[in-house]
Amino acid sequence: MLAEHMLDFRKSLYNEGVVFCYSGYMTEDVLMSIGKVIKQKLEVDDVDKNIARSVFSVFVEQVQNVIRYSIEKETALRQNEKEIDLRYGLLMVGYKDDKYFVTCGNMVKNDNVDRLREGLMQIQQLDKDGLKALYKEILRGDSPEGSKGAGVGFIDIAKRAKKGIEFDFSQYDDDFTYFTLKAYI
Amino acid sequence: MDAAWQCSEMEKLIIARTQNTPKILLDPEAGLIELTGKSYPENTSEQFGPVFDWLEEYFDGSPCNQTIVNIDIDYFNSSTSRALYEFFTLLNAAVKRGYGLEVNWIYDEEDFSTEEDGEEFNEEFSELGIKLVKK
Repeated sequence: MLAEHMLDFRKSLYNEGVVFCYSGYMTEDVLMSIGKVIKQKLEVDDVDKNIARSVFSVFVEQVQNVIRYSIEKETALRQNEKEIDLRYGLLMVGYKDDKYFVTCGNMVKNDNVDRLREGLMQIQQLDKDGLKALYKEILRGDSPEGSKGAGVGFIDIAKRAKKGIEFDFSQYDDDFTYFTLKAYI
Repeated sequence: MDAAWQCSEMEKLIIARTQNTPKILLDPEAGLIELTGKSYPENTSEQFGPVFDWLEEYFDGSPCNQTIVNIDIDYFNSSTSRALYEFFTLLNAAVKRGYGLEVNWIYDEEDFSTEEDGEEFNEEFSELGIKLVKK
């Protein structure tokens, strides 16, 4: 039963084209280890350098978004007494229908959904030059409210996702919504 | 107090390269600023904070006549692009105050992405005259 259950899970991932899947707390250490494996896999498959690089970049931006913004978190103490947040997220990297994809999912606050959706809808409609212009505009100004990073992570993903991005929200309860972003390369 | 004396007064700053952060070399005596490697930390302040402090002090005094800036970063994330933007803003301000700077953006011939990033920064900070240099 146990093996059958795991094999079914494995098969469903396989059918979706998933080559790599991680569900759990994400930290910089996790990012670097998984990043190394993804790079190796892309090298073994002899993937075009620029495509491999885009897949890796999108992976980094996606995981760092989870590290920054996933609302499902625990705070741990490191040995040096410095606090570290453990943020929960789900990552999938795969290949299907001649496209690579990098998908991430994490919980966000309901209050943030409209802002996220509007931002992503705007990005989705822009062409290469439009994305570049918006990227620069944000770099010139201050970080958007509630953003701890460059505020340009999503634009960076869209720039590199030559075959498009998809996103979706699923309300979980009165406070939280599950957010997913899939980028195709 | 002459310029040569002052520029050698500051301490050299060297930050070692890691898997996701670049090697940083700030040498006041040689008038050399170098960033080499990859840069994709989630939080860039640990790496770039000391660089910005150093640069402010460097350009506050009388630096060596000509300062050479070599940026050889073959991959960086969006947080780093923000840090680089701040970095170039500081350099731009120094040039406006009359400091002599030569800025080189070094990239691999086959790396179109980094070449394009260099072009973008050059467009944005045209007063710096960033030179795109193939490896």
